[in-house]
Amino acid sequence: MFSYYFKLGLNSLRRNPILTALMVLTLAVGVAASISTLTVLTAMMSDPIPEKSRNLLVPLIDNGPLEGYEAGKEQEQSRLPYRDAVTFLNSQQGIRRTAVYTVSGAIEPAQANLPVLDISGSATTADFFTMFEVPFLFGGAWRVEDDTAAANVVVISKNISEKLFGNDNPVGKRIRLFGLDYQVAGVTAVWRPSPRFVNVFNNQRGAYVGEEDVFIPFANAIATQKRHDGSTWCMGSKMGPGYQGLLDSECTWVQFWFEVTNAAERTAVHEYLRGFTAEQRKLGRYMRNNKDQVFDVMEWMAHLGVVSDDRKLSAWLAFGFLLLCLVNTVGLLLAKFSTRGAEVGVRRALGASRRQIFNQFFVETAVLGLAGGALGLILSFGGLWLLSQQSLQIAAVARIDWQMFFLTFALAVSASLIAGIWPTWRACTISPAAELKSQ
Amino acid sequence: MEIRPIFSALMRNKMAPLLVAAQVAISLALLANALHIVKERTVMSSRQTGMVDEASTFLLDLRHLKAPPHEENIALQLRQTQLLAAIPGVLGATWTTQMPLTRSGSQSGITHSREVKPSVAASRYYSTDGFINTMGLKIIEGRDFKAEEIAIVNVETDTIQPATVIITRALANYLFPNEVSVVGKPIYWGQGADADSSTIVGVVERLQTTNAQRGVSAEYSAISPARISSPRSDFVIRVEAGQRDRIMAESEEVIRKSHAQPMIIRTESVEKHRAERYRNDNGLAWMLIAVSVLLMLITVSGIVGMTALWVSQRRKQIGVRRALGATQFDILRYFITENILITTLGIATGLLLAIGLNQLLVAKFELAKLPISYLTIGSVIFFLLGIVAAYAPARRAASISPALATRSV
Repeated sequence: MFSYYFKLGLNSLRRNPILTALMVLTLAVGVAASISTLTVLTAMMSDPIPEKSRNLLVPLIDNGPLEGYEAGKEQEQSRLPYRDAVTFLNSQQGIRRTAVYTVSGAIEPAQANLPVLDISGSATTADFFTMFEVPFLFGGAWRVEDDTAAANVVVISKNISEKLFGNDNPVGKRIRLFGLDYQVAGVTAVWRPSPRFVNVFNNQRGAYVGEEDVFIPFANAIATQKRHDGSTWCMGSKMGPGYQGLLDSECTWVQFWFEVTNAAERTAVHEYLRGFTAEQRKLGRYMRNNKDQVFDVMEWMAHLGVVSDDRKLSAWLAFGFLLLCLVNTVGLLLAKFSTRGAEVGVRRALGASRRQIFNQFFVETAVLGLAGGALGLILSFGGLWLLSQQSLQIAAVARIDWQMFFLTFALAVSASLIAGIWPTWRACTISPAAELKSQ
Repeated sequence: MEIRPIFSALMRNKMAPLLVAAQVAISLALLANALHIVKERTVMSSRQTGMVDEASTFLLDLRHLKAPPHEENIALQLRQTQLLAAIPGVLGATWTTQMPLTRSGSQSGITHSREVKPSVAASRYYSTDGFINTMGLKIIEGRDFKAEEIAIVNVETDTIQPATVIITRALANYLFPNEVSVVGKPIYWGQGADADSSTIVGVVERLQTTNAQRGVSAEYSAISPARISSPRSDFVIRVEAGQRDRIMAESEEVIRKSHAQPMIIRTESVEKHRAERYRNDNGLAWMLIAVSVLLMLITVSGIVGMTALWVSQRRKQIGVRRALGATQFDILRYFITENILITTLGIATGLLLAIGLNQLLVAKFELAKLPISYLTIGSVIFFLLGIVAAYAPARRAASISPALATRSV
């Protein structure tokens, strides 16, 4: 019976190709708009490190000056001054800890014919690579002793490695970085968490674009007086001269992460922070007595507002648009079905039940919905392309996530089916006697 | 007019006209808000930076792989400034630490008294006496820096706060809301007893911050007279109209030759800074315009479809009316009036929806309140669209022959 109804449906759709095309197109445009905006939104809101994101914690403590502070105000700065980062690194809290800040400069290739490489990377500790599950192509993280010794060792990205050494394994070789010699400890495979959550605050080009070129030990960067390339927050605090002045100051620029294994350890880290600031208050620091907080990865992304409001706005408007398309389709279907009263009258008079009429028309609606959905899916590739013209950020995430795609597709098709129920029901409630009489 | 019969005809079959009205309502709500957002974004992205000729201004950014020692660095900066200024066609070249719209730079907390809390964050430009001229900023009170006011700062050893400062009118208005003149007044960097102070010597009409953020704080900027030795030097260069691209290439060459040690040199036009700063806003605006056009097309198709349906359903009645003496114009008028009734209902609902949607957007996305004018424009658009869309099917209805009435009875 189904295939018969299917054939009837196709026939009926073919009978009025312009109306059919209009309905399919309207549905498709609405579906495409919502699929493409939703794809971008969910990609941006997705968890960059799903297995671990609940166990990676950012501390948020407020060392701002008491002058100009209104009690209860939210913490403005989100990172640590150097000295507290060092204290936390040595704190034994959680199972691992790491400190990160952005360093940039140049690599001078040994071959004179290659241009100087303008690079940016992170100063961090050996635990970084384990904590954030950085994949390696060659070698691995530097040793913990290299952290203590502030050794000149470096982990470089696949991209940089290929520029300097082609496809060779460069582990153990030396490169000229920041005007000094560094020994290569490892080469990372492509590592592009989206968003770049580790030091997300510091990515000028946006949270979704680019990757780290190099990693050097935190202690080494400090010993060689590398300044943080990015915002350094010194609101209201005076600073001594030179690099030592920066290290001793209350300026915040170091991003810190703890790794724990369970909720109890998270509470322990939180307790540790409270204890730490209470202790420091006796020394005249942390006088704001603001809340000490910890955030896991997703809480942190939400706190920083990584996903721009424009993306959410677009998704909302796209759904408004889909709603309009659905109402439009309902109207057109209603129009289409209501011209077929005679057909229904004859079928009913010949013994078809209401249920059978309903099924027949519903199959027709379903064909329409599927066609609209399928065309919408194709159009949404165009929609994604259009959206990615808007910004590099979107371009970086606007890839097809098939799971997401089919979910929205199913949503769209079922929405159009629901939209078709009313006209279908109307069609099958036609009284055969009245219709036959008017023939 | 024969509104009553039209009305009672509509009441007999409520669903279809309600659907058309719903389409008009949703479209109007979306359109009014979309246009409002488009307008807001275009106004934002066309705000002035304060530079006199953006199209002829560019930034040259230089990074030393190994910074020269302090004195050599300062001397090099001076020499490079002179070399750049000597390029034919250059109207001005000045060393600076940051530029508007580049989205990276430093901020300082400023107050007008040591006791005031909290401080206001202002974008902090360090530059020299040529800055005002090169940028083409307009001084509305006081004067430019004098050469002797330029502090020479070694970041490794000094913590000097220059004695004078030039601020923007927006910042002056915020710090001293009740004063006519602010020249000669001190401002404080931070709070408390040990906060440094500088004396205002001039006020410029406008100088945007590096972020050019939303709102009035986009013009909270302060310029301090200093020359700082750092591994990185930026130069802002303004040239004669039409010469920019040539001079951008030439200036890179000049700078490359000015120093024997390796450097990374990059030039960027202010136009590029502007395009990148507002790329998202412009993108969103274009998307909304595209959506608005689609909205109208879909609504029109809905109205055409429904009217065409009613016409075909009532062919016989139209024939009878024509046979009984109704003119073609009467029939046309009937369908147009019917459509106006439906569109008006849609517009009325749409206005409420638009305001509701706007309040949602205001609450969630810091959007401004929807001005009445968008509601008016949107209403007029859909009113006219309704008439235009109904016209073609109504014409067809009017051309139905009176003979039809006699045929099928």
